[in-house]
Amino acid sequence: MQDEIIRYENVGISFGSKKVLSNFSLSIPKGKKILMKGKSGTGKSTLFKILLGFEKISEGSVYYRGKLLSPQVSWQVRKEVAYVSQDTDLGEGPVKALLEEVHAYRPNRKKMGPEKLHMFMGELELEEDILEKNFENLSGGEKQRIGILIALLLGRDIFLLDEATSSLDSGLKKKVADNFLKHGDWTLFIISHDREWEREEVEIIEIEKTDLIEE
Amino acid sequence: MTSPDISISSLMLCFLLLVIPLAISYRIKLHISRTTIDAVARMTIQLVLVGVFLTYVFDLNNGALNLAWVLGMVIIASYTTIRNIELKMEKLLLPVILSFMAANLSVLMYFNKFVLDLGNLLEARYLIPIGGMILGNSLRGNIVGMGEFYKDIRRNENRYLYNLSLGASMYEALMPYIRKCLRSALRPTLANIATVGVVFLPGMMTGQILGGASPMLAIKYQISIMIALYVSTSMSTAFSILSTIHTTFDEYGLVKKEIYREKGKKKEKRK
Repeated sequence: MQDEIIRYENVGISFGSKKVLSNFSLSIPKGKKILMKGKSGTGKSTLFKILLGFEKISEGSVYYRGKLLSPQVSWQVRKEVAYVSQDTDLGEGPVKALLEEVHAYRPNRKKMGPEKLHMFMGELELEEDILEKNFENLSGGEKQRIGILIALLLGRDIFLLDEATSSLDSGLKKKVADNFLKHGDWTLFIISHDREWEREEVEIIEIEKTDLIEE
Repeated sequence: MTSPDISISSLMLCFLLLVIPLAISYRIKLHISRTTIDAVARMTIQLVLVGVFLTYVFDLNNGALNLAWVLGMVIIASYTTIRNIELKMEKLLLPVILSFMAANLSVLMYFNKFVLDLGNLLEARYLIPIGGMILGNSLRGNIVGMGEFYKDIRRNENRYLYNLSLGASMYEALMPYIRKCLRSALRPTLANIATVGVVFLPGMMTGQILGGASPMLAIKYQISIMIALYVSTSMSTAFSILSTIHTTFDEYGLVKKEIYREKGKKKEKRK
């Protein structure tokens, strides 16, 4: 299929000798919204990291826009896909400097306008003065929202959201989900335990825990 | 005017001074008598050997041999750097040697040619001691700079990966780490430059004055050597980091885990 963005084919993931996922197949066409659920330790985050080239698969194959994953393809993914990590240790120093650094990267130049920044900040209920604060002193919820803010500012239309709303209050969770889901052309691949993402237009996939096989 | 000779018996009188720290160590149970004797013995043997070798090298004053001597020092300095920062040799030794050579030899040659205006750039009396000072300083700078770089990149791996995921090239994502470690590497040399003469008289200057040089000549040498040290340390540390990146990161931009020497850390169990 031409519009296919991501495809996993019989993917298996092992940590050391522990097999956590096997025979995982999934095709994500453009504009599709997928919510992945399942217990921790089932390799969900690893599925994202594989795509970004941070982890290697043990078996099977992964395609991005029809191309088999390779170092070159992973570098392409990093330029085209917005990733919100579960880990909120994104940097240090003033938030403003952090945003500037991100926008100095070659693929992101000329992407950030002040009006876009203020619009997204409003949607995420972030106060203006947060830009002057040091990132490391923010609360967990604020750090998480900065992560979402950066992803939105990149102006990309494919998103990997790894527990992106876990530390937000339920009103904000809903608001964030609404904001992402209102874009019909955005491709969303979501890992979350938050019910706010469970909508009609979202396909839900349950990841079963593979029986732990110790060789 | 030259320095008075130190006869063997005078040297013995100097060793006699060691009775004082040894007595103190014994009296208040410092337990450093053994270490003191070992250190002094090592120093004596090493320096006697160096003295004998240098006597020959200086007498022969063969350009190729002098250069070979300096290259030997480059290899030892590179090896010592990597050993001190707990990384494995195989991926790093060659780029570090090349970086040390490019940075330190070019500064050394420039110094001999334009500052000292030597007819023979490979003159043993200048090439070897000045080369030694430059290399020694680079060695210290590299241990701090490279050590910090590779430690940081591992400690902050998630942050680094996150920057890659945002579309940063490897250099863009590494730049904050490179900046930080170069600053740390140069800080001691800068502090030395700023305090020289006030807090301490450097060994080279002291040596020249003892050797009969005028203080004004000695300070001119000192000023030039300090600048040479700063330049060569910045260059060699930057070169080492930039050149090792090619061998220590894979094509995905991730640091290769196998370059780290594990000390007593538990490894992934494999059966």
